[in-house]
Amino acid sequence: MGEVIVITSGKGGVGKTTTTANIGTALALEGKKVVLVDADIGLRNLDIVLGLENRIVYDLVDVIEKTCRLKQALVRDKRFEGLYLLPAAQTRDKNAVSPEQMQQLCEELKQEFDYVLIDCPAGIEQGFKNAVAGADKAIIVTVPEVSAVRDADRIIGLLASSELPDPKLVINRVRTDMVKRGDMINIDDTLDILSIDLIGVVPDDEKIIVSSNRGEPVVAETSSPAGKAFRNIAKRILGENIPYHELEVEETFMERLRKLFSSRKSTRSL
Amino acid sequence: MTEKPVLFKGTRNGLSIYTDSKADISAIKGALEKKLQESRHFFNGTTVNLIFTGRVFSEQEQQDLIEISSRYITVGSFEFKGPESQPVQDDHRAVDPFESFNGSEEGMTRFIRGTVRNGQRILYNGNIVILGDVNPGAEIIAEGNILILGTIRGMAHAGAAGDTKAVVAAFCLQPTQLRIAGCIARAPEGEAEKPQYPEIAYIKNNQLVIEPYLPGKGK
Repeated sequence: MGEVIVITSGKGGVGKTTTTANIGTALALEGKKVVLVDADIGLRNLDIVLGLENRIVYDLVDVIEKTCRLKQALVRDKRFEGLYLLPAAQTRDKNAVSPEQMQQLCEELKQEFDYVLIDCPAGIEQGFKNAVAGADKAIIVTVPEVSAVRDADRIIGLLASSELPDPKLVINRVRTDMVKRGDMINIDDTLDILSIDLIGVVPDDEKIIVSSNRGEPVVAETSSPAGKAFRNIAKRILGENIPYHELEVEETFMERLRKLFSSRKSTRSL
Repeated sequence: MTEKPVLFKGTRNGLSIYTDSKADISAIKGALEKKLQESRHFFNGTTVNLIFTGRVFSEQEQQDLIEISSRYITVGSFEFKGPESQPVQDDHRAVDPFESFNGSEEGMTRFIRGTVRNGQRILYNGNIVILGDVNPGAEIIAEGNILILGTIRGMAHAGAAGDTKAVVAAFCLQPTQLRIAGCIARAPEGEAEKPQYPEIAYIKNNQLVIEPYLPGKGK
């Protein structure tokens, strides 16, 4: 029996889709059977980031409306063993699906896969409700900006009321140069406000833009710092006894941030 | 307590409205309208479930009462329970919130454990104690005092029914906006130092003031 993880943020454009694609690919590289579900019906993107757009035949709405079987709609990624995509419908909208139907779909996918990652649309309306309906766990993506952190806070509150407490936090697109100058909001302050556990800090990386446009997840690139961060997140999800040096890398990064903030006056609170 | 035609009581299931079984329908309608008018701001924006107990009403009377209610509040569900329920006065814990809660010295207190997050709103017709933080975008509205055992970055409104003696106190008082009774104060523009000690806000000479809360010297 697999695990359903929803990747959400509230605010748009913080990197939910990129995070979903990369964590999913990293989990597949770890030998897991993974399906990525694009819940952003009407504004699908996950297929493009994964480079699978031209292979879509059926989609999530087809499965729910029983136009096709579940297996027919799943797109297998030939580059990564064990990675599948369930694409969103592009010609429909969020109301084409109900939370109960999503729940049922997740139950079905859980039988087949080790991990079901759901790429949640932005917002707190129907699309969000659908995406979280079948989830067992949640990962919140935010960026070090006041508005993104506010929205993340709202989402954490909403998740708690949909019986998804204790989500994990990914802080995406951290600019090391800005952190050095003290121009970026403090990671400690962010954690202080959101008071949830951190599962990863992803540095801003130009390679993400290039790889998203090409449809090649950045985790496959060993030289990319963001790719490395996503691989670390995947390992933490697996909960495997993470090799000690892995944690150390993360800690020293955090320590470095902390040192920078204590020596310079940081931009103020949220 | 003298027999009043209409009494309100907040319960877990909604607003319990006790009506005097001997009272005239027009007296009940009038009293209900008056009470709703007084407490309109308190229910502002929330959906309220109504449970009428006490007097038995005809269908037309029921419709009229719901119609009056929905003029002032958003009515969720409603129910007419009739006389079998206990009158409010017999329950020693039952208090009419809009009449008996008239001081900040004591009264009913609601405890909230954990962080109150953006978009969440805590309303209570008594004191509120938060064992945690109040984040930006959250609203805490009490008819009595508000105590925050943590950091408040959101909005707090103490004495929401007009009690100017109400106070807001927090370990770390950094609200976006603070209101006590009719007074409103906002956070200063630009960078503010994070307070290093607990603070208390209250009304002094019609102005909202914030002072360090020093045990023994607190108001």
